[in-house]
Amino acid sequence: MTLLEPPSTTAPSRPAVRARNRRGRGRADRKPRVLIAVTALFFALLYLPIAVVALFSFNSKKSLTVFGGFSLRWYRAFVHDDVLLSSLGTSLRISLVAMAGSVVLGVALALGLVRCRTRLGSLAGLVMLVPLITPEIVTGVASMLLFKGLGVDLSTGTVMLAEITFSISYVTVILRSRVAALNPEVEEAALDLGATRWQAVRLVTLPALLPAVLASAVLIFALVFDDFVLAYFTTGVDPQPLSVRIYSAIRFGVQPTINAVGTLMLAGSVCLIALALFIPRLFGRRGGLDILSGE
Amino acid sequence: MALLRPSSRTRRRGADGDRIWTWLMLPGTLWMTGFLIASLALVAVLAVGTTDDLGNPRFGFDLSGVRALADPAYTEVLARSLGYAVLTCAICLLIAYPVAYTIALHGGRYKHALIAAIVVPFFANYLVRMYGWSVVLSDDGPVLRALRAVGLADGNTKILNTGVGVVAGLVYGFVVFMIIPLYAALERLDVSLIEAGRDLYGGPVRTFFFVTLPATRQGAAAGLVLVFLPAMGDFVSAQLMGGPDQIMIGNLIQDKFFQGQNWPLGSALTMLLMLVLLIGMFGYLRRTRKDEAEARR
Repeated sequence: MTLLEPPSTTAPSRPAVRARNRRGRGRADRKPRVLIAVTALFFALLYLPIAVVALFSFNSKKSLTVFGGFSLRWYRAFVHDDVLLSSLGTSLRISLVAMAGSVVLGVALALGLVRCRTRLGSLAGLVMLVPLITPEIVTGVASMLLFKGLGVDLSTGTVMLAEITFSISYVTVILRSRVAALNPEVEEAALDLGATRWQAVRLVTLPALLPAVLASAVLIFALVFDDFVLAYFTTGVDPQPLSVRIYSAIRFGVQPTINAVGTLMLAGSVCLIALALFIPRLFGRRGGLDILSGE
Repeated sequence: MALLRPSSRTRRRGADGDRIWTWLMLPGTLWMTGFLIASLALVAVLAVGTTDDLGNPRFGFDLSGVRALADPAYTEVLARSLGYAVLTCAICLLIAYPVAYTIALHGGRYKHALIAAIVVPFFANYLVRMYGWSVVLSDDGPVLRALRAVGLADGNTKILNTGVGVVAGLVYGFVVFMIIPLYAALERLDVSLIEAGRDLYGGPVRTFFFVTLPATRQGAAAGLVLVFLPAMGDFVSAQLMGGPDQIMIGNLIQDKFFQGQNWPLGSALTMLLMLVLLIGMFGYLRRTRKDEAEARR
């Protein structure tokens, strides 16, 4: 009998193991139902407004509460609305220019800030922080006053300048940790092999930063395209960026066309942000949210 | 000599290097100084300035803008803005903590996807999101309908055009700024600490308050600042969710620059807003310094 018994005495049966594991793991791994319910409710409320805008953009009626049936009439209205289309073009132009300008200035600033150990470097680090701790309305008011004070008429150009100013810091914050994480010995090696400082930066450092630079460029494009406050304070009367047009529209009565425009904008920025998060992965590096937190 | 050579080369290279890094740093810094620091200084100067008949800024020294801030009409708006912003911070903390905790500690292999699912829509267009939120909170929107169905609201309950609506808007707008730092802090948290706490104290509640919460205090503090900054300066939420009795300091500033055309007063209000925020930032920095000093000891 003893020969037949061992399994049951030395090793407990499977259900017994499972039961003990369950007990042994204790409260830590018990499914926290309340927490999961709170999180689920949070997600529902987070997506509900977006879902409502998207759903009613396909409404055949003008109502925002009664769904009359599927229709593309508001999208058709949008593509035939010359004012909105010209605003779309204006927003795209602003975003492209702001992206190019702030990425060039921001990447250079990040490189300088990490490597420069002078007092000027720490001062530049402080200046870089100012846009991050200033609320947008203050930046907006200040930029508008500066342009008016200089006698510059507000226009698409002034929006571009203000957006560049505001975006440099974001690029720098994203890039700075990447620059700090680079191994300086690689650059040193390039110098030992006869490269000049500038060549080492251009041929060694910048290619290594390429994923982060591209990701920050996409992110800035999306942020500028969606930005409303700064554009609102620095734009001229005509042409206006799309978000400023949307603001006027939702302030003075609801126009369902805005649902269609809003849905397209949401879809566009979600794609861009997702792209920004995945670009480092395309280069075989760890991608993800550290792009956003700058860690 | 052979031993000295590398070091002298490094030093020379160091001097060269500093020069190129300074040159790289300069354009961006000059740009920001020229556009941002100078324009902020201009706001300060104009706060004591005047305007001509056309509404163009005129420099001078006239304290009427600053003095007007003491008007009860404005102090009331400032107090309300502060109240809304503080309330928003508190609610964001209460909402964000369980969500960040659940995702960080129980999200398993889906936690990156879940956090991305929170962050991505928040970087989408703020106006469109707020507009959608105002539809959701409207009198026959889904939220009030659900509340009526379970008997928590009657036909007269309103969210839009009340203070509740404005705070709900601010929370919806900025709660992600609380979730990101809290999630980062909770993800870094050593789970064995919680287990140790449980071994020593027993109760999950005490473990939470004595172990988890203190370990993530800095994340919470960072989140509070990140929410307070935009909430205090917001004017969209009060415009879409509130009525004339719920305006915030941002609405006043907007009004002085667009409808009222009283730029010195608008500048004075802007400076007042900056002052409040700087006090908040200063408090945060002192707090974190103290925490760091304690951690080092």
